[in-house]
Amino acid sequence: MLNYFPNTSVTHGMGNQFKPFAIQMVTKMGFQFSAMLIALLTIMLGSGAIASELESGLIQGILSRPIQRYQYILGKLGGLVILACTYATLLFSLILVIGAFFGLSTITSLTFSQIITGWLLYLLLPVAVLCLTLFGSVSLKAVSNGILMIFIYILGNVGGMVEMIGQYVSNNSVIGTGIFISLISPFQTIYSTMERVMVPNSELAASAMSAASLSGSGKPASLWMFVYIAIYMLGFVTLAIRKFSNKDII
Amino acid sequence: MIIETHALTKKYGNKTACDQVGLSVEAGQVYGFLGRNGAGKSTCIKMLTGLVFPTSGSGTVLGKPLGDVSAREKMGYLPELFRYQDWMTGLDLLNFHAQLFKLKNKKDQISRVLKLVGLVGQENYKVGSYSKGMQQRIGLACALLPNPQLIFLDEPTSALDPIGRKDVRDIIVALKDEGTTVFLNSHLLSEVEAVCDSVTFIHKGKVVKSARMDELLMTKISLTIRANGLTEELFAKLNKQHESLQKLADGSLTVTLNDYEEIPALASSLIANGVTLYELTPHRETLETVFMQIVGEEGQSSQQY
Repeated sequence: MLNYFPNTSVTHGMGNQFKPFAIQMVTKMGFQFSAMLIALLTIMLGSGAIASELESGLIQGILSRPIQRYQYILGKLGGLVILACTYATLLFSLILVIGAFFGLSTITSLTFSQIITGWLLYLLLPVAVLCLTLFGSVSLKAVSNGILMIFIYILGNVGGMVEMIGQYVSNNSVIGTGIFISLISPFQTIYSTMERVMVPNSELAASAMSAASLSGSGKPASLWMFVYIAIYMLGFVTLAIRKFSNKDII
Repeated sequence: MIIETHALTKKYGNKTACDQVGLSVEAGQVYGFLGRNGAGKSTCIKMLTGLVFPTSGSGTVLGKPLGDVSAREKMGYLPELFRYQDWMTGLDLLNFHAQLFKLKNKKDQISRVLKLVGLVGQENYKVGSYSKGMQQRIGLACALLPNPQLIFLDEPTSALDPIGRKDVRDIIVALKDEGTTVFLNSHLLSEVEAVCDSVTFIHKGKVVKSARMDELLMTKISLTIRANGLTEELFAKLNKQHESLQKLADGSLTVTLNDYEEIPALASSLIANGVTLYELTPHRETLETVFMQIVGEEGQSSQQY
């Protein structure tokens, strides 16, 4: 894509104007694909975390030891969070290193505070996915849980699009539908907020991206949305503990 | 009592897995828990170990209510369908379980249990590479780690060869000598007969009999009689004195007597009535015959007069 725009400058003389847009697109794509990869890997990690141990009977040897069931859930969550965050950090760092190596202005112009905020938001995505997936792992079989979680994750992307379309056509009911979907699957909100921090749009890019991007809402998420996400994560972990504490291990 | 339950019931929807189960297990004994497949034995053990929650009823294990986590500090459990992290070495697995038990002297306990189950020298291999018998041994080692006061063994010898079975029997006897209570669920009745002090029979989720092993096996003698000249009239007369008298398909008779002393009296009575005796064979009751009488009667075909 970066090669494409210089060519257009030769033929049409518009390359310099579009180059920042192309750099932004490349950076955004890097973050978007890596975030999707992280989310899917997290779902793969979490969907069978408890379900597969329940199915195989491995859990019987653990829960008959003097440990509380909530300790088992929190232990699993802790381990998976560390694993997912390590992997996410690795990918996030790689994007920054590659971007800096090729001298992408979107990366080289980042401030320290932008990087830290973006990194924390980038980590929030797999953690939020894990909280939901872990609840699913207590309730469903590993494969069913994985399929459902992927569906919910993709639903979040659709929610962002619906909300954006609603804003484009100024239809409140469509916007409401998009917000409702984002409440069920708030992962896209986390991603788009991270993206806004890491790749703030230039004026030209802003108008083009808001019309063309599939990456979420046209408006930044409010603080209350993040309060909701915190409650969402805590709520699903609590539900997982409650359900697991009353579950017969057969 | 180290285990005591009152009307312990577990229902899965309309199906009752355990129905009003009442158990009393004295400390320091080997307690056999017997029943057919699907009788509710494993469900009952899982309720005692806190894995399954009873629908109704109550009970205590090691003086603590069912499900109390602190009771598990001195409780071992070898599940029937056990599976362990096959990517771990035997030593890793024992270390992991020692951490779950919060043991302070991990190294000593691990080397003790490795010696006990005969896995010394094998501990650095991955559990996934172990044979079925070795996996059962490492499972037993995990259960023995906390030096338990009470250990639940659910089919502990199902995957073992005869030597392995004998080793487990010896471990059970050694545990009993140390004062450990062993709650044993096994289909190998000869094994249960060899090591258990008491047994409970469970059938269709209900306890049908609980007794001390000696009371169960030594009180009655089964006598097989091969004779000629036994009339229907004499059979009816004898049947009034011995209700358990049965005529088998091959023409021989069986009768259950309370004492060996009854044998000469019965023989004299038969001879006095003109019967020619060819064979009188007394059998002491085995756990298998008792088991068949108590829980295996359905489907058995024997002709009763």
